[in-house]
Amino acid sequence: MRIPLSIATTLTLATSLAAQSPPPAPPAAAMTAHDSALHALNRLAYGPRPGEVDSVARYGVMRWIERQLDPDRIDDKPLEQREHAFKILDYDRGDLAQRFRDAQRERQRMQRELAQTGDSMRPDKIEGPMREFRELGGELQQLAIVRATLSERQLREVMVDFWTNHFNVFVGKGADRFLLPSYIEQTIRPRALGRFEDLLIATAESPAMLFYLDNAQSVAPGSAPPRPFRPFAPFFGRRRFGMNEMPEDRRRHQPTGINENYARELLELHTLGVDGGYTQPDVIEVARIFTGWSIEPPERGAGFVFRDWAHDHGTKHVFGLTFHDDGKDEGVRLLKFLAMQHATMHHVSAKLCARFVADEPPDGCIDAAVAAWQKTRGDIRAVLRAIFTSPDFWSAQVVRSKVKTPFEFVVSAVRAVSADPDTTPRLAQVVARLGEPLYQQPAPTGYAETEAHWVNSGALLARMNAAVALAGGRLPGIDANLDGVIPATTDHSQLIDMVDERILGGTMSVHTRSVILEQLADVADPLQARALAVGLAIGGPDFQKQ
Amino acid sequence: MTISRRVFVKSSGLALVSLGLEPLFLGRAVFGSYRPLPSLTGSDRPVLVCLFQRGAVDGLNMIVPHGDPLYYEERPRIAVPQETVVDLDGHFGLHPSLAPLKELWDNKSLAAIHAVGSPDSTRSHFDAQDYMETGTPGVKSTGDGWVNRYCSHDREHAPPGTPFRAVAFGPQLPRILAGSAPSLAIDDLQAFGLRVPQEGARDKLTRAFEELYEGEGTGLLASSSREGFDAIQMLKRADPSQYRPAAGVDYPQGRLGRTLLQIAQLIKSDVGLEIAFADCSGWDTHVNQGSNEGQLAARLRELGLALSAFSRDLGDRMSRVVVLTMSEFGRTIRENGNSGTDHGHATAMLVMGGPVNGGRVLGRWPGLSVEQRFEGRDVAVTTDFRDLFGEVLARHLGAGDLSPIFPGFAPDPQRFLGAIKSL
Repeated sequence: MRIPLSIATTLTLATSLAAQSPPPAPPAAAMTAHDSALHALNRLAYGPRPGEVDSVARYGVMRWIERQLDPDRIDDKPLEQREHAFKILDYDRGDLAQRFRDAQRERQRMQRELAQTGDSMRPDKIEGPMREFRELGGELQQLAIVRATLSERQLREVMVDFWTNHFNVFVGKGADRFLLPSYIEQTIRPRALGRFEDLLIATAESPAMLFYLDNAQSVAPGSAPPRPFRPFAPFFGRRRFGMNEMPEDRRRHQPTGINENYARELLELHTLGVDGGYTQPDVIEVARIFTGWSIEPPERGAGFVFRDWAHDHGTKHVFGLTFHDDGKDEGVRLLKFLAMQHATMHHVSAKLCARFVADEPPDGCIDAAVAAWQKTRGDIRAVLRAIFTSPDFWSAQVVRSKVKTPFEFVVSAVRAVSADPDTTPRLAQVVARLGEPLYQQPAPTGYAETEAHWVNSGALLARMNAAVALAGGRLPGIDANLDGVIPATTDHSQLIDMVDERILGGTMSVHTRSVILEQLADVADPLQARALAVGLAIGGPDFQKQ
Repeated sequence: MTISRRVFVKSSGLALVSLGLEPLFLGRAVFGSYRPLPSLTGSDRPVLVCLFQRGAVDGLNMIVPHGDPLYYEERPRIAVPQETVVDLDGHFGLHPSLAPLKELWDNKSLAAIHAVGSPDSTRSHFDAQDYMETGTPGVKSTGDGWVNRYCSHDREHAPPGTPFRAVAFGPQLPRILAGSAPSLAIDDLQAFGLRVPQEGARDKLTRAFEELYEGEGTGLLASSSREGFDAIQMLKRADPSQYRPAAGVDYPQGRLGRTLLQIAQLIKSDVGLEIAFADCSGWDTHVNQGSNEGQLAARLRELGLALSAFSRDLGDRMSRVVVLTMSEFGRTIRENGNSGTDHGHATAMLVMGGPVNGGRVLGRWPGLSVEQRFEGRDVAVTTDFRDLFGEVLARHLGAGDLSPIFPGFAPDPQRFLGAIKSL
């Protein structure tokens, strides 16, 4: 029972923090403390662990929310211990670049060998640097699952996932294979509950985003480098590093003009939204402003660099602003401007509300979020607080109305049975099989939040299979011990009561109860009965909702 | 075991009523009983099979322009020698590994489309595949795929009540099938359903979950799970483990052969399949591509054998089946320093099946000279892939309005190549 303990240690801090904040509105009168705690744990966290609903209810749900909004004050030692097992956290961007290069060399060598025989590459035959690099990639995914499962700073993990998805980068695109880890660790995580503007600027400067949306190669037409410029070439030589992702003439020579990709997605996805009132000429002006924002060669750490020679020094006019030649500051000024546009506030707030409130969020919570954004100049914590204190968040239509994403489903199931994920990527592979391979959404939109994208017959069957495997102790990648959660018993009625209380948070429908009871009728073995009841509960419809 | 359990539930449900048991049981029994499995006798329904050659196939070594001396000039080490090309029309020929398809060419059920591709100039696999699957070149934010949009806009041709209308073979639903219309991803037909080794226990658990989700009544969870359980039931009836291809037909070893075998099986079991999708990878031949033998030859051999086996396995049923291959772009005209080819622009695609107006290489051939090339180096695109896909949807599947399927484009029948026979 870690929760009450850590609550006790942070109690005074949380109280003093709450004093600075506006008095939180209580949940709707109709909701019991238990139900509101469950709702908060379903939305601000990855579902309750056994007993957690009661402890949050006792602690006070609004106080618990305030505490989650201030994660640095929450003790998270068990997770920190666990993170030591992840080698990927020991490597910086330069180390990973080096390892990626080794892996690519090995791959080329194998390809040449295989070409002689006409064979194709067999994944099980892959050894050495290629295997090592692939394992690091698996670690990256698994780390996300371990953190979501074990962290006491649940809301921060939810927000890391939200922003990672909002500012999506596809790990499979060339250099992003080694740029993504630092993107998650250094760009997203420290700012997940900071100011939107800072996050926006950090993503714009991040090598991962600069590569993913091609801004690294965006140069003013006619500009020429002081010496031959082949981005990344000194390190990778020819045809490595996913350089195949680039046109060969650019690879061999140098970038020749502006690339609009980042500018377009910045406006359409990151800030204003598709109906945010910008035009194609705006996109071009924005792309001109970002010319020169690029990446250092990997042997120098593959960090951000502003290349003055590649920058378009002409005057740009966009959104009623004029940008005279001002180097990198033009881009920063534009990002600060965009972060405070009403369209941006509305677009991002609506996405947050879709995440926390409902697939089709009511206007009330969006308006509250926008007002808080305006008032605090984009303090993400204030925006979230506005959502969590809006009546929409607590309305009866909203509670348990959202279907969990595959990631949420797996993590909440693992938490529900107090299981312990290991460091292998096997649990991440389960999430992938359910349709949400982490960091592998190629489109810059990120993954969808709505149930229509996640609920289909194949995916539901896969959830049922995962649930049955989990209950039977056969789900790969975790150490589950049901004894501590649901002691085996021959009393089926008591068994179902425990499953309802400890796994479904008391939300089991009459129908579910009767079906499970009926299924247990001819099961004499208490372990088998428990596995069946837990499997049906987690694989059934009640647990799909949050 | 073709007796539906629903029959059982229905009769036992009635029995319970007469015994005066509690209404809850009745409610559940009624849910179970009023949902007959779709009976689909539709062996005359059109079927489209899409194969995505991921990695960008070298169209020039697949459908070889052996009549063009420039082809040989630009590819001294990897060109397919004229004497081994399987000639098609005096100018183009099949790579010798595709020789098993010559028979289909001769009986007019195979056509090739050359110089087809995307109007977008990207040479990124990731972007180009995305554009080909969303059907919106240049627009990255499209959420759904064109096959899914076809399914959601064209309810008219939807086989009633089948979960198998659109099926992707693989562990995950690909972009092309993403969207609001229901579609299935099946890794292996035999393993579809709940993974419990023992059949009796599996059936029991399946029934239990089915009843759990029936309690949902309406909504997406209810309808999707219902489709899933129907699919299990229908597959059980079709009994995939007992499937044997037609006499004398051997699919090649490997994933592609196995997948096409399963697609043939689904088609033959009349479960309402309208569109099947499968990947075949390994076309990104930057190094030692080979000519008559080598990497590309090995991949093409597997493709040729698999397509030929598929066609013979389906026999007469091929009269209503079209197989369409696609790839994100082609490869450079000139071979590179590693006896391979780099990312190019236009490529070649194949259409195969009874409805195909075959025996012809379709599309306007742009030529290989420098001024005829795209950006001076690649085969130019003369057919927008959406015109080809649109034609197949319209003339083979009978799609009415193509504009919502390819937003911002509107394929024009005037531009259709005539790959599919007019109805």
